[in-house]
Parts: sequence; structure tokens; C-alpha cells
Amino acid sequence: MSKKIDSGMLQYTPKGAYYEEKDQQFNAVKKMWDGLFEYDRVLFALTSILNGTGFSKGAMAHKLLSNPVVSKTGMELVPDGLDSEFERKVISYNLSNQTMSRAIKNLLMLAGGELHSRVNNSRTRKVILEFLFNRDNKELDSLAINFKSKLAKLVRHALGKQDLFKILNGDMQLFEKKIGKYNTHAFPVICHLFNQNVINFGEVKAYFPNIDCYWGAKAAAHAGDIKEFEKLICKLPWRVAMGFRNSYKLDIDKSKILGDSKMSTKEELTMEAAVKRSGAKSRTVNYKAQDLYDLWKALYFKMANNESENIEKISEAIDARTEKLSKLDFGEGCVVVLDASHSMFGSDERPLHPFLTGLCIIASIENVEDVFIISGKWKEIEGTDKKVVFPANASPLWRGLVDAVATGAKNIIFISDGYENSVKGMFNHVYKHFKDTGHEFNIIHINPVFSAEAKTGTTRTLAEDITPMPVGNYKYLETEFIFNQMLENTEAVKALLVHKYQKLIGGS
Amino acid sequence: MASLLETLGFIKTLGVGEVQSDDEMTVIPLVGESLGNIASPEAMKFKRTTSYGSMQYNNTDKHYPGIVPANMMVRGKDAQDHAMSGSGVVLAASDKLFKNACCVESSQGGYFSGQNVTEDILPVGLRKVLLDKNLRQRTSYDKLWGSIRTWLSGLRKVNSGTRAHLRDFFDEPNYKEALENFAAAFEPVDGQIGALILFNGIPVGLEIMPSAEHWAAYWKWLIRGCYGSQLIKLKESGELPRSTMILPEIPEDVSPEQLKVIMTQFIDNIKMSIAPLLESIQVASQDRIDSSGQMITELIRTEGGGGGDVITQNSKPVYLSLVL
Repeated sequence: MSKKIDSGMLQYTPKGAYYEEKDQQFNAVKKMWDGLFEYDRVLFALTSILNGTGFSKGAMAHKLLSNPVVSKTGMELVPDGLDSEFERKVISYNLSNQTMSRAIKNLLMLAGGELHSRVNNSRTRKVILEFLFNRDNKELDSLAINFKSKLAKLVRHALGKQDLFKILNGDMQLFEKKIGKYNTHAFPVICHLFNQNVINFGEVKAYFPNIDCYWGAKAAAHAGDIKEFEKLICKLPWRVAMGFRNSYKLDIDKSKILGDSKMSTKEELTMEAAVKRSGAKSRTVNYKAQDLYDLWKALYFKMANNESENIEKISEAIDARTEKLSKLDFGEGCVVVLDASHSMFGSDERPLHPFLTGLCIIASIENVEDVFIISGKWKEIEGTDKKVVFPANASPLWRGLVDAVATGAKNIIFISDGYENSVKGMFNHVYKHFKDTGHEFNIIHINPVFSAEAKTGTTRTLAEDITPMPVGNYKYLETEFIFNQMLENTEAVKALLVHKYQKLIGGS
Repeated sequence: MASLLETLGFIKTLGVGEVQSDDEMTVIPLVGESLGNIASPEAMKFKRTTSYGSMQYNNTDKHYPGIVPANMMVRGKDAQDHAMSGSGVVLAASDKLFKNACCVESSQGGYFSGQNVTEDILPVGLRKVLLDKNLRQRTSYDKLWGSIRTWLSGLRKVNSGTRAHLRDFFDEPNYKEALENFAAAFEPVDGQIGALILFNGIPVGLEIMPSAEHWAAYWKWLIRGCYGSQLIKLKESGELPRSTMILPEIPEDVSPEQLKVIMTQFIDNIKMSIAPLLESIQVASQDRIDSSGQMITELIRTEGGGGGDVITQNSKPVYLSLVL
């Protein structure tokens, strides 16, 4: 297998890095997808169950679905322990583990989204319709108003114009065959998606309150009935409510929408600043339910803007999350050196991403005895006892190495993009001195700047015998380790992944 | 600091930041307070080309004049790529059309009129050509074509034939990656407003911006487009002998603390070398070439064929860009 295949293939997000544009990254990652797919289709499918970005998983599903399996029995390519439909199950499993927004985007890739070609075959149709409709009415109701136009596009793609026309004209037999087998009550949802009045089709088997509210709000907005519209805001997702307000030019303050409409737990955090700016009554954000990365991001956002509100709560939530996090054991006596130089700021598209990822990685490591921060600029917030370091200045990484070796640590973890410049070569010089004079320690270099070339490139290597591990998301440490082994022992890794498949998805 | 900066009137104290190096390039950061009252980089936008050989900039700042750094280059689709012949000053809340700009893409037609552009700064070799006052002030869009062809001719991976397309270099994947690596290898330090740039220990450029905000906005284009590209060119044409920085010897029985002292001393010595380096740069002539309001631009020539622009505001220097 090509040495140029690494865990980066599961970590791609279409956003640039500090030093690499997104199209460069995409081309490099696409080569990895193509390479592993050609080398071993089963391995390709199974690796996608490891932790990775939604985009990577979507692109990998697209690759599987757009390349039909050429087989006489359907089982030639299926190793022991897997069933003939394992690929479809892997794709469905991955979709169910994404945020709904990302899962929908991944399905839209099959309909030509995000620069992908359209794929239309029976497996694809099944994946789309099963994912959308194989759920209870309450979930379907919510999905149908949150993602109305996207769902319509997907249903049109999966059914085809002709079948969709027949169903929308009351062909209930066809509806049952295509959609009813997943949810027999879903007909009103189809009508909603394509702006048809369900009453025209006789008896309705189920009531979808959110859809009802959607049409009630739309009618009120259309009629300019602000009083009635305001009554319904609390039942609408904020994007839908804001959409009606803007489309129908309703004279309702933005703060009313942002204060009263529905928001997901994640949106409550990501929209916190916007809600405050609008002057809306502040919403209670459940910080403890948020992801660690999002919490660090929220904290840094507040620190950067000199906002002290809720800093204590966020800090407590970070501590609580860190404590609960399952941790990776690199061995006893771990010391971390965190590069806080300017390049760890990341790109303008994802400001602070490498640095925040680094902070989360520290929380994901067992037995951390000390952390040394190289460069950076400290900032305090008045009225709190909190201070944080922001990425700034040059990268004298050799200083971190000296500090870490001085502690006598056996395992030194460097979290850095590897661009040593102050001055270049000093790290290797000091490292070589320590190794030559009998200091025993092991260096693990984690590179949190996701870069397609992070592992195979040479410029980001701290020393000749230290191979960097690209980890663009703290959740992918395990993924990285499995990929490391894959290069050495394909069959053992395949067996390990089959076992993981059985555990997560089910056996044959 | 050094006599050169005193000669030019940079009397404020400039400090030296953490020295950075990558391959043959060393950047010695200059740190200090802001100079004058100059519009922020965000306020200065390239607007369009109105004819071949023209570049229009807009300054949205309502109070302060803005500076277009010397030899800014814009590249984009469906229009002819252009570069400034020198630096430029645009008064507050106004547009300015620079009619002496150069086309840097000979056989492409079309004007820029609002589409996205990629910005960079011309390589040192081409900037030096434009130090000739007559050439710089001449309104002739093709005035740099011959020099571009010569500059491109020594590059192995560029196959431009007879066309003068600088983008043949900047868009070539290997060179593009090398330039990105230069940009990634250097980082602005706290309070940095400028830098002395060296190839193998020899000064090749001195850049001072009005503020740290300006340095933060433009340093990447200087490092990659101006100096990085020239370094690649010199290496490929064999004009730059390879050299390795000799790092200090470390005694076997040294403690970590002592080791830190040795290495820190080594870096401090590099920092201290900046004063004699700057003293070695001698101004041969100063020639006023433009004035806008309280801003005066002078073309400086240094001994040895270098030079560039210094801009003053109310007689105090606010910008300097020299290629040496």
C-alpha cells in the first residue's frame, strides 16, 4: 500500500490551513481515498467507521456507492464476519453518527452536492430513503421543517421525477413500496416537502404538529398577521422563523426571533454572542452538555473580546468534560510541550483551530505530569482569575525539549505544526545532543494542523527519526494509531476493523 | 539603532525580535511602536484596472491616508495581471489611479473590475529593475515584459516560451508549494513592524511598515512573493551557494540549564549582528518622486545597486521598503 495513505484521509474538512489552500488539501486527500479504495475496498469501507470528519465519511460513502460491486455471488469480496450488505450498513451507521445537518449534506453529495458527481442506483436510493424515513413521527416532524428544501431535493433525487409525480398525485401503492415501508405515516411529510395540501388525499394517518405550525406561521406571515406569527415563533426552529421574517418583511425585531425560537444545544452555544448582540433576553446555555472543543472555542472567543460573562461556568464545564473524557495512554511520565507560536493560530477560515485542538488533545492524554508552553501571548480578563495564552511569536521548540528533558520524563509529547524557525535546526541539534549523551526518552509529535501532507512532508518533521502524527480533531487519536499499524500489517488491521464493525453495527 | 535608519529619519527606537531562519533565508524582526497616522490595511483595497498599465486603489478610511506597499501585484481570472511600479499613497476617503503600473501577464486580455484577486509582491529581481526612475514613471504597460522573460528564463520548471507571464512561476505547483512553505516557516512576532531579510547572511531587503497591523497584513506577501521567489530563482540559477548555519557545540556534560544559556547566547549573537549589517547599507541618493497632502515619497538608491521607497508623513518616516 502507498505510504502516502494516512489517517488524514479521515480528517478532511474543506477549509484551508495556515499554509495550505483547501483545493491542495482536497487533491491530496482524494488521492488517498482512491489509493486505499483500489488497494482494498473492504478495508476502505471499514476504516470509515473510525472517528473522522463528516465530510471525509460522506466522500468515502460517495466513492462506495458510485462504484457498484462487480460480483457473481455478492460474497466474493466479503471477508468472514461480515454480511453481504456491510457496505450499506457502514454508510448508514456513519450517517446516524453525524449531526443531522452533516448527515443531510453527505446525502446531498450523492445528489451532486459539494462538488461531487450525482449517483443514482438502487443502493443509493435505499440509503437516502431509509435514512430519511426510517424514524418515528416526532423525529420526522422536526426533520421536515428544519431541512425542508434539502429533504425535497433528496427525495426528488431518490424517487425520480416520475415516481414523485405519481406519489404526489395520490399513488398510495407506490408510496407504500418506496417510503411507507419505512414509515407508513409519512405521506403528509411528502406533501409538506413539495407544498401540497395533504387534505386533498383523504384520510391522514398521523398528525405532525411542527409541520402544522410551519404552515400556520407561513400563512400568518403571508397575511402580515404579526400577532399570530409571534404566537408560533416558540415552536419554530430559529432559522425557519428568521427566514419567514426576512422573506415576508415582517416588522418583528430580530431579538424576538433569537430570544423565543427553538435552538439546539449546540446552537445555544454557537449563537450565544449573536443572541446577546441582538439584545434578546439571554438564553440559558447548558455548557456542561457541550463538546470540549466548542467550550474552549467559546472561552477563547470571550477572552478575545474581553467578555467576562459566563467565563466561570465555561471553565467549570471544561474541567468537567476533561474529567469525563476517555483518555489515550502513552505510558507513564508524560510531559507535553505545546507550541503556542503564531502559526498555531491556523487559517482565517478556522481561526485558532490548531491551538484549540492542541488543548483538547492534552485533555485526551492519560498521565500528563507537566505542560510546557512555547511562545504565545498571555491574556487576563479583569474581574476573573482566568488567563489564557493566545498563539503568537516565533517557534523556539528546542526550549520546550530542554524543559521537558530536564523533568526526567520518559514520554514527551510535542503538539506542534512542526515549523521550527527560531532558528531552524536548533531542535534537531539539541535532540541529537540528548540522545548522544544517554538521555532516554521517547518523543511523540502530534501535528494538530490538519494538512494533507503533514505526515509525508519533510519540512514539518522535528527530527529525522520522529514521524509526525496529523490529528486535526482530538477525537481522532485512536484513528491515527490504527492507521499507523495499517501500513505495517494490513490483515491484522482488517481483522480488528471487522471486530469493531461487529461490535458497533452487528455481525453476519 | 543603525546609521541607515538615522539617515532616513527613523529616529524612533526599534528593537530586535526573535531571529528566525529557514534554509538560506533569515528574517530579523524589527519591533517598535506605530509610525504616523496611516489608514489600516483593511481600509486599502485594490479596486480595478481601467486600462492596461493602470491600477486603482481605494482608501475607505475617512481620516488618514493609506499606503500601497511597493510593487504590489494582483493576479486573477479573465484579466491581465498587474503590479505597481513602486509604492503608492491614497488620501483619506478617496480613490487613486496609478497610471504607471506594469502588466505582468503579456498575452492575457481583460481588466479587473471587482472580481477576486490574489495579491503578492514582485520578486526582488524585478523590483530592482523598477528602481530606475525613468522606467518606474513611464506609462507603458509592457515595460517589465523583457525583465520578466529574463527572470523566468532560469527557472527549470517554468516553460513560458516567449511570453512574460509571472503566473507561470507563481502557479507552478512545485514553486507554489515552496512559496507556501516559506510563508509557513516564518511568523510575525509581537509588536513587529518590519524586518531585515538576509540570504546566507547577506542583507537582501529591509522593510518597515507603519504599524504591527500593517506588518501582519503584508508580511506573507513579502516573504513568499518578494523574497521567497527570489531565493528559489537564485538557487536554481546557481547564484546562491548553499550554506549551513553552524550551530554552537554542546559539551557532553552540560546541564539542561547550561544548555539553554549556550543556545540563547548563540541567538543573541545573531541579533547583535544586525547593527553592523545595517551600517553596511549606504544611501547613495534620495529623490522625491511624489507628494500627496502631507505624504512625500522618495526613491532611495543604495550603494551596490539596491534601493526602494521611503514615505514620510509631516516629515516623519512612516514606511520603508528597500531591496538590496
